Parts: sequence; C-alpha cells; structure tokens
Amino acid sequence: MCDESDSALIARAKEDPEAFGLLYERYVKSIYNYIYYRTSNHHDAEDLTARTFYRALKHIPRYVDRGAPFSAWLYRIAHNVVANWHRDRNRRQMIALDNLVLKSPHREGPIATVEKREEHEQLLQAVRRLAPDRQQLLFLKFIEEMKNAEIAEVMGRTEGAIKSLYHRTLVALRADEELIKAEMVDGRSSNREASDE
Amino acid sequence: MSEERVAEVLAAHAEELLGRPGAMQEIHVTKVERERLAPLFRLAERIQQDMQPVQPSADFVRSLGKELVGGAKRQIALTKRLRRAALIGAAAIGSILSIASVIGAIVFVIARLRARSQAQTAHAPTG
Repeated sequence: MCDESDSALIARAKEDPEAFGLLYERYVKSIYNYIYYRTSNHHDAEDLTARTFYRALKHIPRYVDRGAPFSAWLYRIAHNVVANWHRDRNRRQMIALDNLVLKSPHREGPIATVEKREEHEQLLQAVRRLAPDRQQLLFLKFIEEMKNAEIAEVMGRTEGAIKSLYHRTLVALRADEELIKAEMVDGRSSNREASDE
Repeated sequence: MSEERVAEVLAAHAEELLGRPGAMQEIHVTKVERERLAPLFRLAERIQQDMQPVQPSADFVRSLGKELVGGAKRQIALTKRLRRAALIGAAAIGSILSIASVIGAIVFVIARLRARSQAQTAHAPTG
C-alpha cells in the first residue's frame, strides 16, 4: 500500500491516472461496504460502487481540498448514488436476490440457527429503515471502527452531535424492534383466532 | 439521568465494544446507570456482532480499478487536448487582434495624412 497522503494523491490525480488508481484502492472496500449495508445485495453494491468512483473521477479535477477527509467526499457521492437508486427502485419495486437467498429453506439448519439468522436479518432490516445519517453513523462506528472525532470529521458535525445522534439512533432502533415484535404477536394471535374459527 | 449523560455513557460503551477498554471507567459510570442503560448496551452489542465488514469480489475490484485508470488516462488526455486547443485559440485570437491593430493604425495614419494634404490643397492660393 502506498504511504502518500490523500492530499498529495488528489493533487497528482489531476495529471497522473495511476494516482487515482491508488485512491481507488485505498477506499474501494469502505465504499463497497457502505453501499452494501444500504442496499443489502452484492450485485447492486458492485454497480453503485462503480458509479460512485466514476462520478469521483469525473469531478476530481474540480475537487478543492478544504481540510475535510477525502473519504467524506466519497461517502457523500456514494450517499447520493444510493439515494437515487432507492428512488428508482421504489418506482420499480424489486426484491433483492440476496434476501431471497437468506430466506431460502435450503439454507435452514437447526432451529436455533434459523432463529439467530432471522434475528440478524430483522436487525439489519431495522438498520436499513433508519434515516441515512443514522445508517452512516452505525456504519462508520461498527464497520469502519472510527472514533467519534473521526466520524464527526467525515459527517461534518461536532463530536457532541455524533454522541447524541448515536443515542437517538439506538433509541429509534429499539422502538422499531419493539413495534415489529408487537406486530408479530398480533399477527400470531389473529392467525390462531382464524384457525380456531 | 440527563440526555447528555446518556449519550456520553453510550459513546463510552461503544468505545469499549470496539476494543478501547477503560472508556466507561474514565467517565465513572455507576451501577445504576449501567442497569438503566442495559437494554441499549445489549442492542449496541448485537449491532456490533451483526454488522460485519463484507469483502467485494477480487475480480470486481481488479476490473473496476483497471477501467477507472483507463478512464482517468482518457480524461487527462482530453483535458490536455482541450487546454492545448484553448491555448492555440487564445494565441490565434491574440495574433489576429495585433495584426488588426497594426492595420488599423496604418489606415488611421494614411487617412490623417490624406486629410492633411487635402486641407493644404484647399487652402493653397490659386492663380
């Protein structure tokens, strides 16, 4: 891996194609993960990662280094690309293939494993229902393992605001989970009533 | 417990989850606070367990990298070509303007000389 700073690579990328290649290598995994956690399937994650970097390539000649991390700029592009994708997808109503694979009966093992998988899926779905900034915060904290100060830099907020956002995110997630559980209990009891009749 | 304090404690808990021990001790989290926030701690632990990094396929990373470097080469070449064209254009406009100004100056001088000679002929005594 190259030791050159982001700023130096960005300056060089305006004249040297290999420098953009190095920036790409440095951030491709992070951007791919960010997009994967917001789309839930690998196929779309690949497609949108490619779109993000092509857009970055197109705009890098006009990139102005204002001291914020380069990754913040890339995440902003990725965020816009994903937002457009969600808008188009809502119009077309598609089902992600990866979700089908996860729910496939061929993959089911012992009951405990299935329950665990279901819980895991429910939690990830609840995360995907969060507002984009809350999803980004959880991603930067738990996948990128960034400190609050680093997250604050990337998201353009203060450290205090990040802590407060994390608190509100956990509370919102918990409320969402409780709502889902209550709906499931309601669903089961109404099914039981229907079968009794 | 104030909202600020809750946010502080949850942030310290997350720090510990990510392998930075002592964060809760540093801000003196009490037993009561731990008990009150236990459900949120458990939720954070589940998120940490469930949100694991995924790996893009090596083929995808390699092929996209190649495409991007190729794209960057084309973009830089195009920018250079446009810059050169703009430079040549500016130089051409500059030379046309300077030639035009020289011609204009010559025309002006000739016109003045002609006007002066016509004036001299008009004022010259006749017979």
